[in-house]
Amino acid sequence: MQKELENNFLSDFEKNQNIAHKICRLYTTNQSDHNNLFQEITIQLWKNYPKFRGDSKFSTWMYRVALNTAISLYRKSTKTVKTQNISDYDYKIKAIDYDNTQEIQLKALYKAIHQLNDIDKALIFLYLEDKPYKEISETLGISSINARVRMNRAKEKIKKILNP
Amino acid sequence: MDLIENYKKVWDNQSEDSNKASSIEIYKIAQLRSTSIVKWIFIIGILEFVILNSLPFFFDMKEAYNEYRRLGLESFDFYYQIIYYFISFYFLLQFYLNYKRISTTDSTKVLLKKIIKTRKTVKNYVLFNLSYFAFIMIIVIIATIQINPDDLTNKKILLIIVNIVIITLLFLGFLWLFYQLLYGILLKKLNRNYKELKSLETL
Repeated sequence: MQKELENNFLSDFEKNQNIAHKICRLYTTNQSDHNNLFQEITIQLWKNYPKFRGDSKFSTWMYRVALNTAISLYRKSTKTVKTQNISDYDYKIKAIDYDNTQEIQLKALYKAIHQLNDIDKALIFLYLEDKPYKEISETLGISSINARVRMNRAKEKIKKILNP
Repeated sequence: MDLIENYKKVWDNQSEDSNKASSIEIYKIAQLRSTSIVKWIFIIGILEFVILNSLPFFFDMKEAYNEYRRLGLESFDFYYQIIYYFISFYFLLQFYLNYKRISTTDSTKVLLKKIIKTRKTVKNYVLFNLSYFAFIMIIVIIATIQINPDDLTNKKILLIIVNIVIITLLFLGFLWLFYQLLYGILLKKLNRNYKELKSLETL
């Protein structure tokens, strides 16, 4: 029974782990924080997995748990030296890339989202991930109308940062 | 095309994260202990219960009991202690139940609310202890004054009161600092995010 649960969890999580990585990359600015948050998300997912009944897709459930962990449970380690932020991620960009405009734009997007507050980050992230407003409002616990209004504001903020 | 739409395409095309964890790694990580804020609140809360309840063991209570007897407060002390432990137990139970109710599968707002509620239980418990402490102090002062009115000049009474006020203020100040530091560091982000979500209600 336990073994089956473990196997299901591992296969579900492995398939969707990029959701967690994207959230980590949005909510942290260096590799060590990224790893810590990823660890906490994994622990929370596993801890709550027995309660996951499959009423919704695993990924939908995972968005909620992972975002909650990033917004509410996780605290950055105080030891982090701020000056080495962001540049830590540079290694992720391949050195020889014939078309690196894509990577440069992606980096600019992440950098822009980093400047938003935690809630706006979640809104923009869920928008980029193509989540319907119903799911967004349920995940955050706000009304659908408020989610819409707030989303438009967050988008405006992002636009201003990306194209001042 | 809209700027955001353009960036959305870039987002959709991003490659998988370069440090993808393998099944074995995921399995290992899942067995680790959580270091979340909630865990810390739980540990700190339990510590506060333990510390406050073990304070009598650090002080020489024999002398205090003799003093109570002298002041004729023996039975008062007995009943008061029973009530104290009863209320303490109630707080501990509330604290535990609140902690148990915290679930990452709730919506973000509900989750934040529950975490804040759990912390509030501990805060109320400490407030209760302080009131208890103050109440006992007042009773003892009144009893002292009543039992030997001749020994005490007004000057002496004033001195006792001033002393007690200073001690209480020092104690409160220390506690306040402790709370600011502890929960300030721990819950800064959480409070900020909760306020943010709360403000969304009144858009």
